[in-house]
Amino acid sequence: MERKTVITAQGLTKSFGSGSGQVKAVDGISLAVPSGEMLLIMGPSGSGKTTLLTILGGLLHPDSGSVHIEDVDITRLPDKKLTELRRRKVGFIFQSFNLWESLTVSENVELSLNIAGVPGRRATDKAHAVLTELGLGARLGFAITGLSGGEKQRVSIARAVVNDPRLVLADEPTANLDSAHGYEVMMLLRNVARSGDRAVVVVSHDQRIREVADRVIWLEDGRVKDIGRLFRDPVCGMSVEAARAVSLEWNGETYHFCANGCRRDFEANPEQFINRRQAGEASVRPAMEGDKE
Amino acid sequence: MTVPVARRNLLSEKGRFAISVGGVAFAVLLILIVVALYRGWSQTGEVFEKLPGEIWVTQIGTSDPFHSTSLLTSGDVGLAASVEGVEAAVPVLSRQMLIPIGDGEESVRFMALALPGGLQLSPDVVAAYAPAPGDIVIEETLSRKTGLKEGDRLVVRDVDLRVGEVRPRGGDVLSQFAFVHYSDAERIFGVGDIVNYAMLIVSPGSSVDEVAAAVSAGNDGVRVYTSTAFAEAVRKEIDEAFLPVISILVIIGFMVGVAVVGLTTYTATIERAREFGVMKAVGASGGFLYRIVLTQSVILTASGFVVGLAAAILLARLAEQMVPEFVTDFRALDLAGVLVAAGLMSVIASLAPIRRINGIDPAMVFRA
Ligand SMILES: Nc1ncnc2c1ncn2[C@@H]1O[C@H](COP(=O)(O)OP(=O)(O)O)[C@@H](O)[C@H]1O
Ligand SMILES: [Mg+2]
Repeated sequence: MERKTVITAQGLTKSFGSGSGQVKAVDGISLAVPSGEMLLIMGPSGSGKTTLLTILGGLLHPDSGSVHIEDVDITRLPDKKLTELRRRKVGFIFQSFNLWESLTVSENVELSLNIAGVPGRRATDKAHAVLTELGLGARLGFAITGLSGGEKQRVSIARAVVNDPRLVLADEPTANLDSAHGYEVMMLLRNVARSGDRAVVVVSHDQRIREVADRVIWLEDGRVKDIGRLFRDPVCGMSVEAARAVSLEWNGETYHFCANGCRRDFEANPEQFINRRQAGEASVRPAMEGDKE
Repeated sequence: MTVPVARRNLLSEKGRFAISVGGVAFAVLLILIVVALYRGWSQTGEVFEKLPGEIWVTQIGTSDPFHSTSLLTSGDVGLAASVEGVEAAVPVLSRQMLIPIGDGEESVRFMALALPGGLQLSPDVVAAYAPAPGDIVIEETLSRKTGLKEGDRLVVRDVDLRVGEVRPRGGDVLSQFAFVHYSDAERIFGVGDIVNYAMLIVSPGSSVDEVAAAVSAGNDGVRVYTSTAFAEAVRKEIDEAFLPVISILVIIGFMVGVAVVGLTTYTATIERAREFGVMKAVGASGGFLYRIVLTQSVILTASGFVVGLAAAILLARLAEQMVPEFVTDFRALDLAGVLVAAGLMSVIASLAPIRRINGIDPAMVFRA
């Protein structure tokens, strides 16, 4: 499959406030995402992830730099054209779902189609098809408030992809979910990228979802950080930077831990943790599939 | 989906919706009742259009049949009768006067026509306006106000009168007409040779306007009205007195409606600011969002209109039972006008919420 670049960002900067209170939320970021790829942008809270995502999605004008979505420089578009571009090319997924709570599951997706100019019956049929594909066929007439978090996020995904956008942007899509459902959502998003031939950008500070992404970028203080070497804490499973980690040599290998507590646990019985690494991962997947029924 | 969205935004607070519909209904009710009352009262003077004469001769300077006195001599009547094209000149006595009713008094507009024999008049006209000597014909409104019924007797200035017939209510509600025989009127008024008006019946084939002009030209002591102009002269007085008041009440009603619809739509919109923000974020155009807001206003005004219309008709019926002069006339054209006003209400009421929506920054939906 030919992998065309869907979105390219060049030298983006964005500051809030002025004088000594000025915050450089985004500070010289460049990136490119081809179709079929899911890019994960990670970083601690306040590192500028959301600001970057809103710039990429045409909801915020950067102070400098450019964003191209399929050859269109969206930073030069007037608001009206930007709205149209978001309608046709971009799908959004939010941490707090942001579903229309007065509407049913199906209506949420239909409204998105209506906004894009697909009317009545055609919108209903298409909404039903997409929701059924996402395993929500039995929830079409449900009120949003009656859904679980995982179901809500699946409705969000349906709403984001129903107009067949080239780019899907997700802000902390797993933050309100437990790990099983978070993992499931990430798998669905990866599928959105792969089978839909779209570019998917996910921003998150959730370490648990790293391995699902095709590529990870680290953000800190608005800048892309050289992730250099990242290690996995064998006890708690967190990704840790070598520079900040607590490390330990055992059996000729170096292990990195998020904190001294984990290292102590490891020292007590190293073999248990080296073996549990695979077992821990395996236990995630059946739980996810079981939920999908 | 704009209609379901609008409907559910409004109905998410059922109590607020009910109160708002009540408010709009009240505004519509106020407007409709005031307009219908005006229409009802505007039929005043109708009797002059229903009587068989086409021309009314009055004393010079007479402004209208209600607020002005007119005194003519039999010479004036004779002069008018002699004009070509006049088939008959009917002397008319008319006076607003108090009559004793039980322990109290009631103001009644007495009228008597000296209809000559040989005129081709419909039985209805005769029954309504030309009672036999000793009889008095009144209308339902006066009957209800005074309790006088058919066969009741009353004495007015030593003249014995019997209620011969109670006629259904006509358009003259502000002034109660009572018709008596001419000879009885002469005795009650005691004015000798003087009459108040001459009602002219124009012979077939003659032009009313030309005859009127000829009568006027032949006697500079009189002022001549066509029957329509005479009736209009009274209505003009009513319009001058009531129209400014009515206009103010209608404007107040309209503003109450705008305020209620506007406030409700505004709060229903603010409540959903985040959801509107999400719509903006995912690419909803301004027009799409305005449609939702406007639909909210229209649902509200339409519900208010229906409730208000029903309430107005009901209230008019009830009020008329209690107050005989509460005469309303709901005209299709007026209803259409109020419907248009209600539409205008929706549009004006949507302006503030639309401004509010324009002010929503779609990027805010990414903030918790
Ligand atoms: N609208 C805003 N006004 C002022 N400061 C903001 C605004 N949005 C974000 N910031 C600041 O920019 C920085 C980055 O924020 P954000 O992009 O939300 O980070 P993240 O999503 O990684 O938590 C933070 O310091 C935040 O306080
Ligand atoms: Mg954020």
